[in-house]
Amino acid sequence: MNARAPQPRNVLTQSLAQIGACGLFLLTLLAAVPRSFRYLRETIRQLWFVGAMSLTIIMVCGLFVGMVLMLQLYHVLSIFGGTSASGMVVALSVYRELGPVVTALLFAGRAGTAVTAEIGLMRATDQISAMEMMAVDPVAYVATPRFLAGLIAMPLLSCVFCAMAIFGGHLVGVTWLGIDNGTFWSNMTAQVDVHTDIINGVLLKSLAFGAVVSLIAVFQGFTTPPTSEGVAYATTRTVVASSIAILALDFVLTAFLM
Amino acid sequence: MSQPRSSYAVGTGLFIVLGFAALAYLATQTSSVANVRQGDSYVVDAQFTNIGQLKERAPVKVAGVRVGQVQSITLQPGRDVAEVKLSIDKLYDRIPQDSVATIFTSGLLGDQYVGIEYGSAKQVVAAGGTLARTKSTQPLEEMLGKFFGAGGVVDNVGGSYAVKASFTNVGTLSAGAPVKMAGVVIGSVQSVHADPVKLNADVVLSIDKRYDAIPDDSSAAVFTSGLIGSQYVAIQPGGSPDALKDGDEMILTQSALQLEDLIGKFLVNGSPSDKKDAGNGNK
Repeated sequence: MNARAPQPRNVLTQSLAQIGACGLFLLTLLAAVPRSFRYLRETIRQLWFVGAMSLTIIMVCGLFVGMVLMLQLYHVLSIFGGTSASGMVVALSVYRELGPVVTALLFAGRAGTAVTAEIGLMRATDQISAMEMMAVDPVAYVATPRFLAGLIAMPLLSCVFCAMAIFGGHLVGVTWLGIDNGTFWSNMTAQVDVHTDIINGVLLKSLAFGAVVSLIAVFQGFTTPPTSEGVAYATTRTVVASSIAILALDFVLTAFLM
Repeated sequence: MSQPRSSYAVGTGLFIVLGFAALAYLATQTSSVANVRQGDSYVVDAQFTNIGQLKERAPVKVAGVRVGQVQSITLQPGRDVAEVKLSIDKLYDRIPQDSVATIFTSGLLGDQYVGIEYGSAKQVVAAGGTLARTKSTQPLEEMLGKFFGAGGVVDNVGGSYAVKASFTNVGTLSAGAPVKMAGVVIGSVQSVHADPVKLNADVVLSIDKRYDAIPDDSSAAVFTSGLIGSQYVAIQPGGSPDALKDGDEMILTQSALQLEDLIGKFLVNGSPSDKKDAGNGNK
């Protein structure tokens, strides 16, 4: 993967080549997983960086998503006199769609770009080549820990996001708009199912999104041209490609899981 | 290297714990696991002729308060009654032997549940016992059918004759819809066309030859079967001595009533004070 293929002219062949290279890179990553167990400490450091450091933005965004969703639903549902169902609708829409998707988009912007820029700069400053000189496998030491960290962090962040959204919805619905507290919770617990909504909705989706975002971030970092312009370009591409991949994959997963 | 490592290791550990705490919160506090939680319970049998949409884990209520849930629903081969096992909390172990188990619907379109109305017998029903007195679900269609005078068996239409009727509004009536008299199907709608001159709907009814003594001043009305059912034409006999013949036109017609109008009228006229429903637990 070190030798960059000559750039084809056609946009279609170019993107196809990108997808193919990305798939091959995934195989390399997975093959390096057993070797990267030696660098467990590095994985934990990355988990701290992509996971724990993203908590603030995830929690604040989750809170506001829950609050605004409740506010909107309350006004629409009050037309039909169904405001008591709004807590349930907030929970279902957050668990099934908004939680995993918004978390993944934020994760791509917060952690994916940082990973791409870091690896890209490592390339630009020849650190990757230096590792190869020292017989340290750069895939096992640099790429796989970041990939695994993203894979572990996304479901956890998604759960935190959902919990904060429920809290925000409760804050606006019960404390401000005056929905009955008991009705809010009982309607929610009556309709939310552990299997379809929490395991399939929150956990499985966010695991898939975490894999896709981390793969794209690490891949873009590794294949960036070793110039400052190339790093900037690769960082942008991480966000664009991740967002498209998340939304497209979300449709496919929803179609299969529902 | 060791100093910063321990700090981020602790932070990472905290992050993982927080993530799992959030997951546990979602799974236990906001989902139906909270409903499954149940203390010691005992099982009582009840037999229903029609359980409607009752499902396993549906609530069992006394006076509208949840006391247990439906454990299983089975149908014995060769019998046409459903055997429903109710798992009731040990706390409520003094249900009289002659209590009545009824299947209710919460709200108009809500889920169904089993309501137990206490009897007056001294003996209480024991664990594994049977509640002998049950009331099955009343399908909404049947109730509304009674109300609208509709609901009948489709006859095999043999030889038929055609009668015309024109309506100002046929609603969603379409060709093939039944024509009923006294709730019994006597024919079908052959065609529905808009009249380009009179600007109303011309409907051709094809009526079974057996019913050849319908007075020619009978009226035709477009009704709806059930709440959201399909529409049909109902014929209300008149008093004329002459009978309808092939090709005749029915003068007296009543157009389709919009259900929305009906319910609107009902809601405006109905007194809001008598809306108490003890069975409707969660509104």
